[in-house]
Amino acid sequence: MISQRAIEVTTAVLTGMFGLAVVVSSTDNGIGWGEKGVDAGTFPLIVGATIMFGSVYNLARGTLVAHEVAVTWPALRRVAGLFVPAAIFIALIPTLGMYVASFGYVLATVGWQRKLTQWKTFAIAVATPLFLYVVFEKLFVVSLPHGALFEMMGL
Amino acid sequence: MESNIESLMHGFGIAITVQHILLMTIGVLLGILVGVLPGLGAPNGVSLLLPLTFGMQPVSAIILLSSMYWGALFGGSVTSILFNIPGEPSSVATTFDGYPMARDGRPSTALATAFGSAAFGALVGVVLITLVASWVAQFALRFGPPEYFAVYFLAFASFVGMGGTPPIKTLVALAIGFAIAAIGIDTVSGSVRLNFGIPELVKGVDFVVAVMGLFGIGELLLAVEEELHAKAVSSKIDWREVFRTVVGLPRYGWTLVRSAAIGCWMGITPGGPTAASFMSYGIAKRFAKKGVRFGTGVPEGIVAPEAADHSAGTSALLPMLSLGIPGSATAAVMMGGLMIWGLNPGPMLFIDQRDFVWGLIASMYVSNIVAVVLVLLTVPMFAALMRIPFFIIAPLIFIICTVGAYSVSNSYLDVVLMFGFGVVGYLFKKASYPLAPLVLAIVIGDKAEDAFRQAMLMSKGSLGIFFSSPLVTCLVLGGFAFLLVPQLMKLVRPHRRRAGLEPTEI
Repeated sequence: MISQRAIEVTTAVLTGMFGLAVVVSSTDNGIGWGEKGVDAGTFPLIVGATIMFGSVYNLARGTLVAHEVAVTWPALRRVAGLFVPAAIFIALIPTLGMYVASFGYVLATVGWQRKLTQWKTFAIAVATPLFLYVVFEKLFVVSLPHGALFEMMGL
Repeated sequence: MESNIESLMHGFGIAITVQHILLMTIGVLLGILVGVLPGLGAPNGVSLLLPLTFGMQPVSAIILLSSMYWGALFGGSVTSILFNIPGEPSSVATTFDGYPMARDGRPSTALATAFGSAAFGALVGVVLITLVASWVAQFALRFGPPEYFAVYFLAFASFVGMGGTPPIKTLVALAIGFAIAAIGIDTVSGSVRLNFGIPELVKGVDFVVAVMGLFGIGELLLAVEEELHAKAVSSKIDWREVFRTVVGLPRYGWTLVRSAAIGCWMGITPGGPTAASFMSYGIAKRFAKKGVRFGTGVPEGIVAPEAADHSAGTSALLPMLSLGIPGSATAAVMMGGLMIWGLNPGPMLFIDQRDFVWGLIASMYVSNIVAVVLVLLTVPMFAALMRIPFFIIAPLIFIICTVGAYSVSNSYLDVVLMFGFGVVGYLFKKASYPLAPLVLAIVIGDKAEDAFRQAMLMSKGSLGIFFSSPLVTCLVLGGFAFLLVPQLMKLVRPHRRRAGLEPTEI
């Protein structure tokens, strides 16, 4: 299980790292008063510093939070059950394209539950990319990625 | 005043056409759909529709998007009452009394109470906009860069001070939004900022990508974590009961008026609908007569959050139209749309785009009526939708968000960013950081920064310009008051805990 403290600390560390990155990156653009007025890096520097100081405060407060359970194991497993396949889906989009990837993603996640018949699962998995194709490629004329694999084959 | 009425009539002429009524119907239905589905909400829904509007007249486009907003506000209440699942964060407070009432065999009463109060709240919001918006805009015409920066400061300060979340967390969320807004080409100097070594980031981070991730993916992760079970009560509508309930609503007149007032206040100072509904519920509970047991299905417990939710949602458009400062996350998305359509949100709209502004305001009267009728008619249909198991809906919503993020600028990087925002959204929700200020800062961060830098150019680098006239001084001091007074109150009265007020956002 994950405690509230762990969540508070993780979030504060992440925001603090982002703040640091902003501060470091802002120095490329010049700080302070330049010939065109306030230099481009000034505002990001202030913002980055605010994020860092805020994060340090939140980190300190976060470590004082009681060790109460924020996410139980079964809940975490459910979150992972959505998160992991979704991450794989996104990782596969450049190679397989949006259509094939979404077909596989729906087939895998719905099939995994084993609550629907195979036919129904398959039907939903086919209908999803078909719907995307009709709505985006045809109606909105937005080309979704077809995938490197299929572009190689000339599709 | 009279010219306002004239303008409104002019607006009705624009809003009431077959095409626009059709757009309202489509918008409201789509809105109810995203409102009903947990994981999809008004901000994402409106973002998803944005690309569709690029070829439209701006006034038609805003009618479609705003109708979707009203639909989503109504849709969120349907699931709150029938399933005890808030479809929108702003309808969480409706579950407290709405679901118990529906469960006790009075779903029609609960729904009619909710929709009736919501319609009243929305009406108060629109009347307020009709009467005040052009006046505020006229006043704001005098604003120069220092005044504008002061108004932005006021808006952000009120978030930190009154958002209901820990102030430093709100501050961090805001600052992250500003940093994200700064990514890409700097509009003043033309140099590339904050690309962190990723060349593609030159194009900046679009707010739609952030909204898809923060609200869409984040909510989805929360929904699977909480394992929502749709235990539906009967969704049959008894029309006679609906009629009787609506006729009986004036009995809660005081609650209605107070809740609508709270909503308007929270909508204009960007507290947003969620904070408004919780605050209104909490106050109604505190002022309740003896013997009224909140949480058991009392009508006041539905009237208070619903009226406040809708009046906040509606009046959130007031500062967006007249000042260019959106009062809620969804209003921020709509304002992003305005900028894409080539309009400049702010006081000049009332002069340059009279048809647009008054067409929108008039449409709000009509589309809220359309929304009430449609939501009542479609309750059984959308209730049936909730019976589709979540393990089928979740991947579909995920795919919709992915495609939505991709289609912003046909970039795979946006998809990856969206996923990252999703993780941030989940963490932020778990650690009670607010999401709305982050989105608002992404949308208007550049404008706030530009205002600051222009003001500095005017004063040759002296901060004294923010105290150079009574107006700008008042605005800046008001901002500091919003920022500090709530904190001081906490110090003075540390033991006083407000009933029913929970950390909220949006």
